Amino acid sequence: MIRVEDLVHTYAPGTPLARTALRGVSLEIGPGERVGIVGPTGSGKSTLVQHLAGLLEPAAGRVGLDGVPAHARTVAARAQRRRVGLAFQYPEDQIFEQTVFREVAFGPRNLELDEPEVTDRVRWALEMVGLDPAAIERRVPFTLSGGEMRRVALAGILSLRPEVLILDEPTAGLDPRGRRELLARVLAWHEQTHATLILVSHNLDELARVVERVVVLAGGRVAADGPVRQVLSDGELLRAAGLDVPPAVALMQALWAAGWEVRTDRLLAEEAASEIARALGLLERNGRPRRSREEGRT
Amino acid sequence: MPPFIETRGLEHAYPLEDGGQVAALRGVDLAVERGEFVALVGPNGSGKSTLARHFNGLLMPTAGQVRVEGLLTSDDRNLWTVRQRVGMVFQNPDNQLVASTVEEDVAFGPENQALPPAEIRRRVDEALDAVGLAAYRTHPPQMLSGGQKQLVAIAGALATRPACIVFDEPTSMLDPPGRRQILETIRRLNAGEGITVVLITQSMDEAASARRVLVMDGGRIAMDGPPERVFEQREQLRALGLDLPQAAEIAHRLRSWGMSLPAGLLTMETLANALC
Repeated sequence: MIRVEDLVHTYAPGTPLARTALRGVSLEIGPGERVGIVGPTGSGKSTLVQHLAGLLEPAAGRVGLDGVPAHARTVAARAQRRRVGLAFQYPEDQIFEQTVFREVAFGPRNLELDEPEVTDRVRWALEMVGLDPAAIERRVPFTLSGGEMRRVALAGILSLRPEVLILDEPTAGLDPRGRRELLARVLAWHEQTHATLILVSHNLDELARVVERVVVLAGGRVAADGPVRQVLSDGELLRAAGLDVPPAVALMQALWAAGWEVRTDRLLAEEAASEIARALGLLERNGRPRRSREEGRT
Repeated sequence: MPPFIETRGLEHAYPLEDGGQVAALRGVDLAVERGEFVALVGPNGSGKSTLARHFNGLLMPTAGQVRVEGLLTSDDRNLWTVRQRVGMVFQNPDNQLVASTVEEDVAFGPENQALPPAEIRRRVDEALDAVGLAAYRTHPPQMLSGGQKQLVAIAGALATRPACIVFDEPTSMLDPPGRRQILETIRRLNAGEGITVVLITQSMDEAASARRVLVMDGGRIAMDGPPERVFEQREQLRALGLDLPQAAEIAHRLRSWGMSLPAGLLTMETLANALC
């Protein structure tokens, strides 16, 4: 259980450049949850996740991992921090080893695991991100494509077997297919491990596909915290926080305003299409088309 | 008059450490006219950024040629002019800011052109007005939001008075309001100021706002046409790993269930109007 209580963070305290990034954040994240964190630039998202990983010291308030202060310099706190894996934006920028194997093995070797265990973990982690260990483990990371490098970097975190995985904009810069594949791998990893997943993203489409709960940060405070469908379809709340509704929601709201009897909490293109089709009677209750395109023509 | 940008048989290969080469462009023939708004899309590694870097002579052709207003980019004597005509804005605004206040940052280009101070002042003011940042002129750029920093980078490009700006994924690191701000600015510069725009993006919704979409695949141009045409080719795009704009995807699904809708629905506004 992650428990954040009245967390305050100030950068460069006591200087003219002092800036308060978090102004009293409280939230709890339970084991196995899939939670999204959204907010405009400067809302405190990256600061918050660094606190969850115990990388920063609170100016006030507490961050507890199973009751242990996350940043403390104690054996117990170090053990707790090892359970948290954090992938920063563009994690492939931090790749430095000469082969994919050594890169993914870096964390497990630091844990002083024996070599067979290290090898097991490297292969499992590479398979988890959809790479074939036999084909890729001897390659030089810098000769891989951008999408492959991103996955190697992610494998380097999964090989630590984190019980909490924090991903900061994991699909930034990837093409649509690379994005889809990476998210599918992350979901499969969650399915297998039942670990906690925390996803920081500007991409509302991505959040709608991956998480079940969304925390909205604005100005260093929690502006909303609730089920993904409810939060991401609340136009007033999102606009007040400096965000937009997903395009599909905007469409449903326009139809609603024009008098259509449709649900506005359809977050994805396919959900919006089904809802419109239902409202128009194009689909049966079971979601099957009343008539196919071909039949429609005859 | 020759096209504004013209490539003929353009090839580009990057050298590998082992002495080999990897081909990034495999024969690109392309003409971009003055005042066009072209979106450049394609999977990672398809050659988009490499092509864009040929448009202002940041890269030299391995084979073939590139001309800007008829000037060969491979001729050293043309480079100064070419780079003045074609500005570039990159993905990460933090890597493009060089000065301690917004106006000094924007003045960097014209100062390098050794213009008289009064002219530099005029250009900086105009550029900041054009992107709506006049009120921030004395702010340190690092105190601005991501979208505002990217607007500073755009103002910096504008201050050199280019005829064309190439944007290489300018919105991919920004939040949704920042993205919208940049896209609106790009549209205004194109429609209002007549600046030729080449926009590289991974967002098909952004590409849909261009008047011409180029789809790259494996170092070649695979599709080229107005967005209404290109985004009709759903299967071909999916084979390249690309999506449709969300409104086009919804329209496609509704049509497949028997609904008749007009062609070319690319935005939620046009889709909502067609439905109501």
